Amino acid sequence: MALEDYRDDCTNCSRCSYCKWIPFDHIKSARFARACPSMEYCNFQAYSLGGRLSVGLSLLEGRIGYNDELKDIVWKCQMGGACDVSDKICRYNIEGLEVMREMRFKLVEDGQTLPQHKPYIDNLHKEENMMMEPGVNRGKWADGLDVKNLAEEKAAVVFHAGCRYSYAEGLQKTARMAVMMLRDAGVDIGIMGENESCCGGRVYQWGYRKELNGCARKNTRVWADAGVKTVVTPCAECYYTFKRLYPEIGFTFEVIHVVEYINRLIKEGKIKLTRSVPLTVTYHDPCHLGRLGEPYVPWQGTREKIYGQIPVWKPSKPRYNGAWGVYDAPRNVLKSIPGLALVEMERIREYAWCCGAGGGVLEAYPDFAAWTAAERLAEAKATGAEAIVSACPWCERNFADTVKSQDEKIEVYDIIDLVQMAL
Amino acid sequence: MALSRDAYRALEDIVGPGYISEDPAVMDSYAYQWLAETVRPNQSKFMPRPEAALLPGSTKEVQAIVRTCNKYKIKVKPYSTGWYFYGAPLTEGVIQLDMRRMDRILEIDEKNMFAVIEPYAIAGVLQAEVMKRGLNCTVTGAGASCSTLVGATCYHGSGGTSIYTGELRENLLGAEWVMPNGEILRTGSIGSGCGWFCAEGPGPSMRGIVRGALGARGGLGVYTKCAVKLSPWPGPVEFPVEGTAPAYRSPLPGNFRAYTLAFKDWDSLFEAYYRLYDNEIGYYAHRQWTMLGADLGPAFWMLYQDPTKSLDDIEEFVQKQEVKEFTEEMRRSFQLVLVGMSQRDIEYQDKVLERILEETGGWKVKKWLEPEMEQFALLYLLRLGKKNLNFVYTGGWVGNFMQVGTPDFVKKYRPLAEDATREYQEKGLLVDCGSDSMMGCVGSISGGGNCGLEQFGFYDVADKVSTAAAVEWMKHCIQEEAMHNIPPGKEGMYLAVGKTHEELQQDLAKQPATHTWQRKIKQALDPNDLGDRMYPTLDER
Repeated sequence: MALEDYRDDCTNCSRCSYCKWIPFDHIKSARFARACPSMEYCNFQAYSLGGRLSVGLSLLEGRIGYNDELKDIVWKCQMGGACDVSDKICRYNIEGLEVMREMRFKLVEDGQTLPQHKPYIDNLHKEENMMMEPGVNRGKWADGLDVKNLAEEKAAVVFHAGCRYSYAEGLQKTARMAVMMLRDAGVDIGIMGENESCCGGRVYQWGYRKELNGCARKNTRVWADAGVKTVVTPCAECYYTFKRLYPEIGFTFEVIHVVEYINRLIKEGKIKLTRSVPLTVTYHDPCHLGRLGEPYVPWQGTREKIYGQIPVWKPSKPRYNGAWGVYDAPRNVLKSIPGLALVEMERIREYAWCCGAGGGVLEAYPDFAAWTAAERLAEAKATGAEAIVSACPWCERNFADTVKSQDEKIEVYDIIDLVQMAL
Repeated sequence: MALSRDAYRALEDIVGPGYISEDPAVMDSYAYQWLAETVRPNQSKFMPRPEAALLPGSTKEVQAIVRTCNKYKIKVKPYSTGWYFYGAPLTEGVIQLDMRRMDRILEIDEKNMFAVIEPYAIAGVLQAEVMKRGLNCTVTGAGASCSTLVGATCYHGSGGTSIYTGELRENLLGAEWVMPNGEILRTGSIGSGCGWFCAEGPGPSMRGIVRGALGARGGLGVYTKCAVKLSPWPGPVEFPVEGTAPAYRSPLPGNFRAYTLAFKDWDSLFEAYYRLYDNEIGYYAHRQWTMLGADLGPAFWMLYQDPTKSLDDIEEFVQKQEVKEFTEEMRRSFQLVLVGMSQRDIEYQDKVLERILEETGGWKVKKWLEPEMEQFALLYLLRLGKKNLNFVYTGGWVGNFMQVGTPDFVKKYRPLAEDATREYQEKGLLVDCGSDSMMGCVGSISGGGNCGLEQFGFYDVADKVSTAAAVEWMKHCIQEEAMHNIPPGKEGMYLAVGKTHEELQQDLAKQPATHTWQRKIKQALDPNDLGDRMYPTLDER
């Protein structure tokens, strides 16, 4: 696909501003009614989904050319997709998020990249991770763990830790706990160690389309060699990449987020949570596990008009509007923990506010990433919760860094940590 | 024509460098507008590009901007949420004021039932906040995304609850207005320091002057605050929301009812309009579901309830026997929400409604009585947060006729609206969804039971032939209206945006007194012609 293929989507925007707000039906207060971090931080219309559709059309029509302001418009956005959910409440025939992504692809293909992203892309090419770390250290998080190394053995399930869990010191223990929890529950599971590669999802969202293919090819080849049928990951971004993007380019495995697996094992009685965790927590839905975590549906179709002028797809095009994301599993897990109280924020599930770390924002615009996280922390604190919990290391790290830098008074937990505390 | 550097720096000094831009991409995001394609050369989606966009954060900044514009003779166009091409520059050489930073609800006076708001306080947010105090506001017919201030000061602002909560223009209790000459005028009782309780004073009223014939729509200064009257809300402090996106629904308590009322003929339907108003029941009364066409709309509302389906599946739904029966059952219908202030009150209203239906031969459409359908209707109608479904078919629509008056008056033009539309639908130039695709208020308080019907025509905004047909259809409707001594409806307002000065003058000359007085007002308040033709004036001869 190319931006040109989305010309009608750009033309069809009715400029209604729904993309700036959470679905109106869910608005409970003025304070937490907004959906789009980019619009709230940058303010000009061009930084909304609707604005970006018009900028896309302007580019297609040759009304504007490339400059730094345009790059800012294109990249100062986490690509979290809240705008797309709100837009599709009424206009589910516009693929706004796809248009935004195509704009990034186009700029990258035309050499109009952000210099802040370059070191990360170079490191990915060289070291196959997004953490600016040597590739040879990738498997060190699991040093000493009694778990199958699938470079040498076979297993039905691979545990893909992802770049952040593999390298971030504070998070490595969480990955260790997760894989051991599954192994102890009887899952035939292993890890790839040094042979694990970046999923490629993050750079894909930055506009680097080709890199996804390389990562997918490498990961799926080693999985296939190890007899893997199911991929389990604790990272929401990896989950999205494996669940939605890999099948789109022809690589299909069963993909499960760790929290889904734990939920299943609790239900089956294979994980028993017995110890009390006396905490009041609120759960943050990661964009890539929630609204963007819907399964890929294979589809090919053509457009035709019915009833004179209604353009429709034949056969029906799958609709990705956040309805089928992973929302209940993490909540079920939290509710299974004795002594723990779950309180909800105003913006949850498909209309959750983004943590701020996605889409290349953390790397290119760290102040914006921190501002976005601070907004979420304010919402979490408004519930009276003592802690914010998530199921994505990128969310957690961005929250934790913001808590530290802004001297916030709230704890940040990975859901795996809480489960471990309750075992 | 770029702004002079002196002018740009002067404006930048007011708002700060983070809140002004003249970048082409940013400017095109302001120029892009719905309906532009009906009036711009080559059906462009872009209105004239502004010279700069500014985001003021206070009345003081707005006043300083307007004064600077007077100094440098720069035209200025404010908008709040920016939906509609009226909000964009109509010519070159204009700066756009985007009011989104002024989004506060400044005060909610629970006892006296009013709220003081800024331009970007949208209806959905205001409603959410006042519900916590047992109050509600008029959500303008365009929906929860729209500015309440704009509906009250710059348009007529009616909505589905106008039978109970009144129209926004009636609910205006005073405004803070940065006039085009840079002075600030506080209208109504706030103008004499007595608080926001009355638009007519003590203090300068100005209500008719600032609104003019149709609302100045950003053409005559900038409104920076206003107070609006609120109404009782005997419901929960927030909507309990259930259901899967997008078909959210709200199970409200037993003092809420949502009905779709249908009738065997149009005379009976309009008789029910009269009786509802005369008997003073109803919290929401509006013709809403038929906006998507009496033939196709029911199938759409059915498929919308199924989150696995989309518009691509509508043909499948049309073929279902259940949908066929549903379509026929609600062919001539409107929506009514009853809200009881007490259990006795809801029982009373239900009894009155039963009597009205008995006497008019009407009925409650069965499908809409099913609990989940009723819950969907309650949330949709009371929050009006899915109003952009207007665009779901094609991305483009225009609403013709929409003359407001008594049911007897509206009854007369209804068949004209259908006849003027049928040919365009049958030829496939507009969506063939049924020649009755009419929406509109039932029994607004204003005018003692005003109602109206707005005939929707859906054109494919990405299709040049269909877009051209929509323009032709609007012209055709104006001709038909003229032949029957009916003034042009909203289509006249749409097309006016694209008319030459001479063409517009011919139109305005048909109401010479109004537009001559508007000229005199403009001359007095806007000596440097900062505004645009959204506040239309008749030239001096």
